[in-house]
Amino acid sequence: MFSQITVYARYALLLLLLVPVTVGVIGVVFPALGYFPALGEHSFSFRIFVELLNVQHIGQMIWLSLFSGVGSTILASFITFLLLAHCYQSSLLNKIQALLSPMLVLPHAAAAIALLFVLSPSGLVARFIGTITDSAMPSTTVGLFPYDEWGLSVLLVLVIKEVPFILLMALSVMAQPNNKQKLEGYQRAGTALGYSAPSTFFKLILPSIYTQIKLPILAVLVFATSNVEIPLLIGLNNPSTLSVAILHWFNHVDLSMRLLGSAASILQGVVCVLAIVVFFTVERMISWWGRRQLSTGRRNFFNRTVALLGTCTFGIYAFLIAGVVYTVVSYSFAEHWVFPRLFPEALTLLHWKTAFSAIGQPLLNTLLLGLATSVSSVVLVLLTLESEVLVPATRKAAALFSFSLFLPLLVPGVAFLYGLVWFQQLLSVHSLGFHTYIAHMVYVLPYVYLSLAVSYQRFDNRYVMVAQSLGKSPFQVFWYVKLPALLNSVLVAWALGLAISFSQYLPTMLASGGAIPTVTTEAVASVSGSSVRLTAVYAVIQAVMPLLGFVIAWTLPKLITLNRERRRTHNRKSKRISSHMSRKERLEKKVVHHGR
Amino acid sequence: MAVDTGAKEKRILSLQHLQVEKEGKPLVKVNTQVNGQSVLTIMGPSGCGKTTLLNAISGQLAAPFTFTGDISINGRSVIALEPYKRNIGIMFQDALLFEHMSVKENIAFAMPPKLHSTKQAQSQAIDTMLQEVSLEGFGDRGIEALSGGQQARVSLLRTLAAEPDVVLLDEPFSKLDASLRSQIRTWTFEQIKQRNIPAVLVTHDIEDANAAGGEIIELMPC
Repeated sequence: MFSQITVYARYALLLLLLVPVTVGVIGVVFPALGYFPALGEHSFSFRIFVELLNVQHIGQMIWLSLFSGVGSTILASFITFLLLAHCYQSSLLNKIQALLSPMLVLPHAAAAIALLFVLSPSGLVARFIGTITDSAMPSTTVGLFPYDEWGLSVLLVLVIKEVPFILLMALSVMAQPNNKQKLEGYQRAGTALGYSAPSTFFKLILPSIYTQIKLPILAVLVFATSNVEIPLLIGLNNPSTLSVAILHWFNHVDLSMRLLGSAASILQGVVCVLAIVVFFTVERMISWWGRRQLSTGRRNFFNRTVALLGTCTFGIYAFLIAGVVYTVVSYSFAEHWVFPRLFPEALTLLHWKTAFSAIGQPLLNTLLLGLATSVSSVVLVLLTLESEVLVPATRKAAALFSFSLFLPLLVPGVAFLYGLVWFQQLLSVHSLGFHTYIAHMVYVLPYVYLSLAVSYQRFDNRYVMVAQSLGKSPFQVFWYVKLPALLNSVLVAWALGLAISFSQYLPTMLASGGAIPTVTTEAVASVSGSSVRLTAVYAVIQAVMPLLGFVIAWTLPKLITLNRERRRTHNRKSKRISSHMSRKERLEKKVVHHGR
Repeated sequence: MAVDTGAKEKRILSLQHLQVEKEGKPLVKVNTQVNGQSVLTIMGPSGCGKTTLLNAISGQLAAPFTFTGDISINGRSVIALEPYKRNIGIMFQDALLFEHMSVKENIAFAMPPKLHSTKQAQSQAIDTMLQEVSLEGFGDRGIEALSGGQQARVSLLRTLAAEPDVVLLDEPFSKLDASLRSQIRTWTFEQIKQRNIPAVLVTHDIEDANAAGGEIIELMPC
């Protein structure tokens, strides 16, 4: 019974991942080839692609996407490995993990907004410089950030956002039990042979974990190449990256522009493939060079430089995070804040009041969507993981499964979401909430799965055997033994799912047609609005909401343990009292006996 | 108590031409019987299929392993039964007590449902069990508060509380200190024989085998 249900869950999860992406891709291929009955287009041709390639600046758009995507991913991987080489196996690692975690759960839109506050020509850094040089006006022309024509500022923000993700992925791979023991052995062997810590990392540790973090890095690459929010907020508008152009074409009042948008979505897919090819080429070159280094016998690997760069990265992150928190929070309370002063002249609650009067519905939408997607994802993923234990899949089925898990992360969102929405509109124009839920699930499910799978597979199966030998059914084992033991991981996966749902911009905008505003869509919209201070309020709310999920995930297990201990001490005390009582009763009986 | 009724009925585990195979190639072959007053010991170097044999008996055999032959308890074949319906208890070298439950809850979790009419009766029964192994007052403790020897004792109590027809022991003493080892070993065999439960012990320690005092099957290195 139970194992049958888990198998159904596995199929449901597969369908939820495969169907939207497949349908979505089909849904852009048809219009791109000129077939769009709603606009009276019935003939197949490559006309629109020709039109697309004649769009002004199209070459530059493609270049911007490629440059910021590939450049940021290579740079972010490099920085992550430097950080790991610098502090792997040292106590710094935990500190770095703690420092970068808030950056990881911060939605991309919020990160872009927050960095605008720090790095823009009137931002915190400029204020520092202005205070020192005593200039009264922010410079508008000199700064590279934001809106530079080379895409450097987009690249920078992407790097800042990607490093925490790659780092966490690498750490979770390194912490897997079969890896952990092996890597510790490698570390000891390397040290015993006289290799310095960085060279041990680059020559022994990295080569053995790299294949396992390749897929997440590819997901980062595709995401960076096709992301919308960051170039929309930080990048130059004309020409923009291809992804932002697609967004504009689809939102154009002239509906025939949708055909162009569809063709561009396909082109975006091609650009992502190109990005992967470039990335692999670079990777090949580096690994060829690295392999030659293995046999040189050199014991040191830029020890000082690695240490210096590692420390610098750490410092930059610490500064950025502190700066972001200070500026955004100050701006959200600022009344006047004249350049180049470092503190606002006066504080007010006005912006918060304005935001709260408008944010009720978006906040409710965000929470409902987040709770629905995260809870149902956790349930589906738990049942699916259980089905892998109860009814092991064949090797082929398992391969298909891990492929479909990464499918939504490897096919750029702008390439399939429009098609998906087109299909959803065909099915029903009214169930916007459901459509948005599905569009979110496509992104929430893979992350929840990846987050839970590691700890689930790490669970000591002998506990299951013991419980079964005590006569407990598979469901009882799952419910009474596994779930309580895995509570921490389950809650963290839930909080991650919640954060992912909160951060979705494009899926929300498209699937709901803009009719279901969330905190994220409002925040992005507010950037082009008039009040910087209101934007700051939205950024604060955006940053705090995912953190709340994690706070619950961290504190709830502690509360449960505390409560359990309190109950046990209570039991012990009450027993002592009752045994005391019975002794007294016995005494009384004796007395009665004697009395008789 | 359950001990008295248990002693009357005759309990036999028989392994009839049981052959465990790895990808079709024979790994272990056993053909024997164990009754409630004896312990069958399987010895041999590690990696030759001792634990796999236990997995076959408990129904936990997974790919690439398969088996042929029959396993029956009191003449009834159990091979068609799911693992949790076989009523076969297992103990490993780690106590594997559930850490989110107290000592008492661990034992209560193992008891068949409706064995005791009230919660209070159940609680008292567990207190008596704990008292017999000099763990009086430990019922409401957490698992982390127990020493290795105490955990081993609770682990056996938990196994016995499920009233199993057969007990499988997978090197249960190998992690205990030398001083505790013989004491816990003697006590474990005593408890199992007292309840008339056939047992199979897997070990690579000859002292364990001697203490068990039953038939010894030595597996060849493979």
